Amino acid sequence: MSQRLDRAATGFVAAVVEAWQELRIHKLRVLLSLVGVMIAVASLTAAMAAAAIAKQVVTEQYEHDGRPALLGVWAHPMGEGVPPLPEVVRPAFFTAAEKLDIRYASMTSSMGIVTSHAGLERQAEIRIVDPAYATLHRVVPSRGRWLEEADAQNMSPAVVVGERLLRKLGLAGADLPVTIELGGTIPVTATVVGATPKGFSGSTVFMLADAYQHWFGADQPLMDAQYELWVPPKRARQLSAEARRVIAAELPGYQVDVSRMDYLAYGDEDPLREVAIVVSVIGGVILLLGALSLLNVALVTIQQRVREVGIRRSFGATTGRVFFSVLMESVVATVVAGAVGVMLAVALISNPWVAKRLIDHVDDVPAFPFEAALLGLAVSVGVGALTGVIPALVAARVKIVDAIRF
Amino acid sequence: MTSAELVRLESVTRTVVLPDESDLHILTGVDLTVREGDHIGIVGRSGTGKSTLLNLLGLLDKPTSGTLTWQGRDTARLKAREAARIRGRDLGFVFQQFNLLPGRTALENVMAPLMYASGREFWQRRRLAWETLERVGLADRVDSMPQTLSGGEQQRVAIARALVRSPRVVLADEPTGALDVETGQQVMSLLDAATLESGAALITITHDTNVAAMAREHFRLEGGRLHALAGVPA
Repeated sequence: MSQRLDRAATGFVAAVVEAWQELRIHKLRVLLSLVGVMIAVASLTAAMAAAAIAKQVVTEQYEHDGRPALLGVWAHPMGEGVPPLPEVVRPAFFTAAEKLDIRYASMTSSMGIVTSHAGLERQAEIRIVDPAYATLHRVVPSRGRWLEEADAQNMSPAVVVGERLLRKLGLAGADLPVTIELGGTIPVTATVVGATPKGFSGSTVFMLADAYQHWFGADQPLMDAQYELWVPPKRARQLSAEARRVIAAELPGYQVDVSRMDYLAYGDEDPLREVAIVVSVIGGVILLLGALSLLNVALVTIQQRVREVGIRRSFGATTGRVFFSVLMESVVATVVAGAVGVMLAVALISNPWVAKRLIDHVDDVPAFPFEAALLGLAVSVGVGALTGVIPALVAARVKIVDAIRF
Repeated sequence: MTSAELVRLESVTRTVVLPDESDLHILTGVDLTVREGDHIGIVGRSGTGKSTLLNLLGLLDKPTSGTLTWQGRDTARLKAREAARIRGRDLGFVFQQFNLLPGRTALENVMAPLMYASGREFWQRRRLAWETLERVGLADRVDSMPQTLSGGEQQRVAIARALVRSPRVVLADEPTGALDVETGQQVMSLLDAATLESGAALITITHDTNVAAMAREHFRLEGGRLHALAGVPA
């Protein structure tokens, strides 16, 4: 038994050594035949990696509109002409959220506002929210911080402002906090505690609902608002029904509607699935062409090596060993080509110029996808094995007597 | 004391079917016994079946009829894997055209048979190959490529390669066929001395009577039949 194991182990090591020797001796031929595989693996890996990164970018953009599962809540009084007063609806909404044990809940309402700083005046949108809004909409400040519960008590209302608006107000790159004026007739001095990235909210000013009510509620009362809950996607349907029931119970005389609003609202299908399929098919075709050229060269080469196979058989090489050795030559070669291809793909995707275009405005900058690198290597092993089988069969079927021709 | 019997051929024939479906009898009723330490010379003109006989002795081919035994075992019952193992372990081949593996150094060529060994032989292949090359006087050419070696040196590498696994039988097919007379004599002397030293049997197939004369037993292959010769072939 141990002798058999020893023979199998040395057989494997020897086949790899032989394969490596063969590649070393025929460097140029191997290199030329493997260029196709190398480019194919590099393309496939880079395409998969780019698709994974693009998916992250698009997912983040989608999530700015609401992370799965985001439930939108609308409450309207049933009598005609009666406005849905936020001071009535908002407490009922949060009571219901607490009863349902939903941690992330926020009001959201927006309207136009005049902003100014040092004589520069710009029209902007003010969005009135609660602190959880940042979690619900994946808001990651590019500078400073997001709004906190305690900010509602500040003497000057805290705001988070889009970088674009800051630039328009002459505050591009200014150290935070800075103050800006909000409102036209009697301006309120607000403190900018954070900024949102250019690609996210443009010219929006975010302010806590309590702060808005305090500073602007009397002159410019909120007439309508939407309420949002962030719940586990698997329980979205159940919690949607429960939220509707509980909020309705808290708001007698109101019509309450709850529905899912995030990008996966109509199914869990990956929105980039089709792009990924197209990329994979293109990569597959490139790979197939590379594999065919490799197979072609391997077949021609093995025909020229019939005598060598015969000599090896005279040394005691069995049919199986000849088959395995030729197969290993192909696998070792494609693994080397695949590794180089993967390295090329990593170098390409991680190149600062490419990276800047791929992952600009991404909050969670993704590393080079490990699965793309693994896929590249697995594919190169697969291609090596598949393209090695036919030459290996040809080599194994060589008749020793014909091959040697004493 | 009688040496151990290694190979025995009894009434061995080898026939091939030609494209017109007629039979071509290459060997007919061949009897031969090879024992440890034997030095056998077989002479014959081209087309008399020398290569076919060597293929049979080297377990590269099987007789059409008759019995070929290896250490008492009928080779007709040997599995291909067992035959390969015997070939690797107990048989060494020296070819007329050297058949060195291209692109590999002398040392790598001698190491090649050890790639099919296991245990100590495999793991110490470099040292064993180096020692064998030293035995044939090529210690200073271990890193040379075949094309940079003379014909005599290439054949010495081939001899080292045949001897590296200490075979019990060395089969030499026209070992001096591609060499000049003087170099051929030197190569044969080396082969003779090396096998004598290791106790291996040496079977030389040649059309050169001078080469055959160096053997201690002589045979002539004629018309597919093997005839024992009483003295040195003329």
